[in-house]
Amino acid sequence: MNGYAGKFLEVDLTKGVSKSFSIETARLRKFIGGSSLAASLYLERYNLNADPLSAESPLMVMNGPLVGSGFPGSSRFAVVAKSPQTGIWGEAACGGNFGPELKRAGFDGIIVTGQSKTPVILSVINGEAKISPADKLWGKDTYEVTDILKADDKGLKVLAIGPAGENMVKFAAIGNDKAHFIGRTGLGSVMGSKKLKAILVRGNQPPGKANEEKYKEIFKVAIQEIKESAFAESLHLMGSDAAMDLGMMTGDVPIKNWSLGEDFELSAKLSGPTMRETYLTKTHACANCPIACKRVCAVKDGPYKTEEGPGPEYETCGTFGTMIMNYDLAAVIKANELCNRYGMDTISAGATIAMAMELYEKGIIDKKKADNLELTWGNMDTVFALLKKIAFREGFGNTLAEGSLKAATQLGAKALDSVVHVKGLELPMHDPRGFHGMGLAYMMSNRGACHLQHATMGMEQGMVSWPQLFDMKDDYDGKTSQGKAMMVFNSENYGILDNSLSICHYLMYCLKPETIRDAFNAITGFNFEFKDFLMCGARDWTLKRGINNLLGVSAKDDVLPKKILTPLQEGAGAGSIPDMKLLRDEYYAIRGLNAQGIPREEKLRELDLIDLSNKLYKK
Amino acid sequence: MSSYKAFTQEWMDAWKEKIAGSKEYKEIAKDWEGSVSITVNADPSKNVSQPVYMFTDYWHGDVRDFVLCDEARAQTAKFIMTGDYVRWKQVAKKELDATKALMQGKLKLKGDLTYVVRNVKTVNKVIDLLTEVNTIFPDEG
Repeated sequence: MNGYAGKFLEVDLTKGVSKSFSIETARLRKFIGGSSLAASLYLERYNLNADPLSAESPLMVMNGPLVGSGFPGSSRFAVVAKSPQTGIWGEAACGGNFGPELKRAGFDGIIVTGQSKTPVILSVINGEAKISPADKLWGKDTYEVTDILKADDKGLKVLAIGPAGENMVKFAAIGNDKAHFIGRTGLGSVMGSKKLKAILVRGNQPPGKANEEKYKEIFKVAIQEIKESAFAESLHLMGSDAAMDLGMMTGDVPIKNWSLGEDFELSAKLSGPTMRETYLTKTHACANCPIACKRVCAVKDGPYKTEEGPGPEYETCGTFGTMIMNYDLAAVIKANELCNRYGMDTISAGATIAMAMELYEKGIIDKKKADNLELTWGNMDTVFALLKKIAFREGFGNTLAEGSLKAATQLGAKALDSVVHVKGLELPMHDPRGFHGMGLAYMMSNRGACHLQHATMGMEQGMVSWPQLFDMKDDYDGKTSQGKAMMVFNSENYGILDNSLSICHYLMYCLKPETIRDAFNAITGFNFEFKDFLMCGARDWTLKRGINNLLGVSAKDDVLPKKILTPLQEGAGAGSIPDMKLLRDEYYAIRGLNAQGIPREEKLRELDLIDLSNKLYKK
Repeated sequence: MSSYKAFTQEWMDAWKEKIAGSKEYKEIAKDWEGSVSITVNADPSKNVSQPVYMFTDYWHGDVRDFVLCDEARAQTAKFIMTGDYVRWKQVAKKELDATKALMQGKLKLKGDLTYVVRNVKTVNKVIDLLTEVNTIFPDEG
């Protein structure tokens, strides 16, 4: 089957058995792959109401058809589960080499259910699955375990959890070959609940292409587009942290737990250019990526000394920099290394600590509550101590290990005003007061506040222009809510395809939609037009929304937190807040949601989501 | 308020005057060193029959050369920005942010992008001051 391996692996860790199954082409055409296909399987096969950390709940590792093709940016894969952090749909995407290797190992996806009594690893080598004991690996951090597992075969690709996943920290991440991380929504803790320390893949069975000659032509076009893209050049030179300087100017960067609007000293000290001039040792690329946006950094001496390893993304420079008033990039790199080793999402970890610092400043928690730690702004020794306490669920760390919303709930009603989340997931580092469309995108994103399940940032901040897909402006005014509902709707329908195709979000910004479409068609032979893509995107969003509705999500949850509805006093976003009602009302109408926030039956029919309709409307 | 025909020396002088007179610019641009050339591609349908080359030079908050030039001199600048007339017009009329135009490929930049990102406030301020010049565009006048 062109573009696909043609098989999915299902592993039951309770019984210690595995089997494979295939999926008919009609279903692949409908959901494409990745997290979209995962959602359709989840709805059909698994109990949505099961506890995310129970044996019954599955963990899915899913490829899309572009993965393994060699097309630029096609290294991505999605990991999916019901989120232990939010209790709703959870997913996170990742690059590196694991996805293509899984495809070469003979599978489009792995679904893990059950729970082992003792720690295990799952190896998937050329179509064969094997479950092995991992008692000696339990307790090791993600770097250590990856080094051990790859000691005899550097070609193995490894997903591994660290202590945070083992201890079921609600925002535990999954490490990917010591270089990439599946961060958001706590999927590492789902692995931990299954006592699954690592997944290894290795294979030599490349997927076929429907039209090899056509693909070669399109590949050349793609490489040329990347060469000509200033966005790609920016990523190559400065990584995602290129966004820091510009973001500070435009009101995108959150400061001091979303309380300040501008601090150019912070951005200058934490920016992509600064990283390049100071701690960058080299760059790193995912499979088949000519951009190499990944930073490799080392702090060679001083109190924040680190090994050479993955450097912080922009988001991490936000959460462990601007959000906690830390002006020292070396300390951000150290915090990033600790999160990586423990296996924790740097956004949720940093944002939760930022919230705790604010509670400390307000006197809602004191030194005694914080295990005698001084939770003052920018106190990095406290941050490092807290990260360890969170990973091992010690003392105050055990409270924070639940994520900011649940932690604040435990700390009392006054604490809740300091939590900045949507549906239990902490906001990433893009302030909706500077960009109202992002506010709506956060409100409506199916995994909670998210900047990657859509292309809102690219469209609203002017990184992309796709008039061939839909009506859009080249230059949106960030500080208005007018017209943003349609922009977000369109940005979701196209941007969400990242995680089904699967292709890197950044490459989607660098490549023309025609190029992605043509590559997809040359690989799969599906002959999609733009309208087919956008229909798949709308179906994907609506399916995940419907799953969330079945999990209890409704209009009451589509809200922004109090902080975001409080105007800033300074900076580009000063005095501006998203008009939540206008945005939501317009969006609901465009998306076909009823007043309760549930997709209307006619919309579900239009998108051919009949099973979902039957479940939502109990037929 | 005087009006100036776009891409003339008088227009450039008016723009230079705006920059030189801005205290905010002087402060923001105190670290900037180097020249920027601007190339406007010919567009006969918009009454731009030949490409236009401009050379602008900035040094720690001061403005130095600010002149129309030939292609050869334009190529000597530290940063070379190129784009179609309609895009430059959008930028000058504040309809399209220059950074967005760059990211969308509507304007091209040759030069150290890292330096530009670090000094994005300076770049933005220079463009902001251009939008304050009362301009008569070739396809409007």
